[in-house]
Amino acid sequence: MSHPPRHSSMLSISNNVQTAATPSEKPLPPTQLQATSQTPPGLRVPSNRKTIYDRHLNRTRNGELSRASFAFLFGEMVTYAQRRVTGIQDLERRLNEQGYPLGLRLLDLLFYRTTSSTSSSALSSSSTSASPPNRPLRILPLLHLIHGPLWRQLFNRSADALEHSISPDTPNEYMITDNDPLVNTYISVPKEMNQLSCAAFVAGIIEGVCDGCGFEAKVSAHNQPSELWPSRTIFLLRFGDSVMEREKVLERAGVK
Amino acid sequence: MSYYFTILSPTDVPLFNIAFGTSKSGGDGIARFRFPEAAQNTYMTQFIIHSSLDMLEEAQWMGGNMYLKHIDTYPPASSYISAFLTPSGTRFLLLHQPPQPNLPPSSSSGPGGGSMSLSVTSGMGSSGLFGGSGSSSGRASSSSIAANPTSPQTEEAVRQFMTEVYENYVKTVMSPFYRRGMEVKSPVFRGKVSAAGRKWL
Amino acid sequence: MSSSTKVSRIGEELWKTKIDKVNAELVTLTYGTIVAQLCQDYDGNYHDVNKQLEKMGYNIGMRLIEDFLAKSNAGRCANFRETADMISKVGFKIFLNVTPTVTNWTSDNNQFSLIFDENPLADFVELPDDGRAQDELWFSNILCGVLRGSLEMVQMQIEAHFVSDVLRGDDTTEMRVSLVRYIEDEMPPEDD
Repeated sequence: MSHPPRHSSMLSISNNVQTAATPSEKPLPPTQLQATSQTPPGLRVPSNRKTIYDRHLNRTRNGELSRASFAFLFGEMVTYAQRRVTGIQDLERRLNEQGYPLGLRLLDLLFYRTTSSTSSSALSSSSTSASPPNRPLRILPLLHLIHGPLWRQLFNRSADALEHSISPDTPNEYMITDNDPLVNTYISVPKEMNQLSCAAFVAGIIEGVCDGCGFEAKVSAHNQPSELWPSRTIFLLRFGDSVMEREKVLERAGVK
Repeated sequence: MSYYFTILSPTDVPLFNIAFGTSKSGGDGIARFRFPEAAQNTYMTQFIIHSSLDMLEEAQWMGGNMYLKHIDTYPPASSYISAFLTPSGTRFLLLHQPPQPNLPPSSSSGPGGGSMSLSVTSGMGSSGLFGGSGSSSGRASSSSIAANPTSPQTEEAVRQFMTEVYENYVKTVMSPFYRRGMEVKSPVFRGKVSAAGRKWL
Repeated sequence: MSSSTKVSRIGEELWKTKIDKVNAELVTLTYGTIVAQLCQDYDGNYHDVNKQLEKMGYNIGMRLIEDFLAKSNAGRCANFRETADMISKVGFKIFLNVTPTVTNWTSDNNQFSLIFDENPLADFVELPDDGRAQDELWFSNILCGVLRGSLEMVQMQIEAHFVSDVLRGDDTTEMRVSLVRYIEDEMPPEDD
């Protein structure tokens, strides 16, 4: 019988303490603050106060959507872009530019996921090393990052080949090959054009990744059909002079 | 310990700034920088941060870690700079200035009790944002993080702070409307950085 | 009620067995790129962006319906309520892997709402903090066009618009869909 009163008296004490302490700490308790401020800065949020910052970055990591939806959206993107360009080169440039910021985003997302994941590392190509990911300092690790983790993130598989130019005149040229890039038959633009556009977009993504990492590069896409792979595409990466010079310096310094 | 945290774009455009003090060991989370002229706080912090960028650019290509630890010291203001580099080239820089550089870490006798009582009196007495700086530095010096900016504990605490900010930064840049070099204005982001500061520093 | 459950099972089954899939984030990020590009091209005129998104959706809808019919083997719906169920539980399921709730019917059964608990198009998105986007931009407006285009191809003229969006700070994301009329014995409409 003595429990309820004792409980309530404890409550009232703690209340007193709180009210006594509050004025000296903060000018207003949070609820009052909300009521008095007319327009809080920033965007409005739902009453559950959920924002992009409350959403876990890995939530959609393994999510899937219909390939047709991608094809439809991408097709509209290309069709829309076509209406605002002067020719095929202009179209490619535009799609490249649209891919570029995506490359920057994906780069940060990839590294975040590797730091946050405890088990399998998204960045290690096949080994099970649990060491924290490294920013690529040299061209080769950068290319492996694109060929492996970036491709897997986008297309759920690695790219098919990675080559260095054999010509002594162009040591700054590298090639990444995709035998069967994500093309589709739904898009209303001509098939050749569609493959090219899709690839130009991906070239932009690659360029964003390179630039983000501090490797100034121009990336272009080229159709190189083979008998076995009619839509085989080669992404040609041409690194800038500053990158090649730094590469030599780092080589001498023993940086890998 | 007082902190000034800033995010710079790859081309050194400031994207976000925040100053805060330690919340450890009874700290009130308010920055109290001690520069020759208090009015120059903002100017000085930015000056010190920018003078460390050469060191950062050097460190950037010597190792691939995102967290570069303590990269520079600015003795005139006994300030330390820690850096974190995102893979896309954005720089997170944290300037920390211990409360009383010449005070040995063990100086506060009876750290537990002393800081407790100090924090209570200060909490009752100081009414606004600018409490007595004397009491605050006394309190903060009992924390190991504040005492030694280059200790492994401090490096680890800063790493945790940077990593948490990085997570929120990635959320910012993932939005299709965010473009490289844009100032980060979201009050929610600011709140998250503050919270990370309270939690780790 | 049981027919509704049946429809939802059809959607689940189709999603599992008949749908080629891609990484969800590729779709999300591509859509985000489109909207951001439009906002840039239209210089922040969000009303025009909404219109353009709706138009793109309309173009998609007209082609998507073939894909939908081929995969689902769906017959003609007996009434608009059945249509609504089919849209939510099969259409949205197989194309976006979500099933928005069908609710808020008018008494004449010609208007309903789709409430989206999940919207993969809007993952990662925060609208520009320019004091206007949250009042003017309907980020997912392409979906309204998709419904209009696809239903037009099966002889239904509808009107669809969003009435709320969590991106604007609303508590729900809700699209209102109204049947204007059934198109009977007419030539198929021409592209606009």
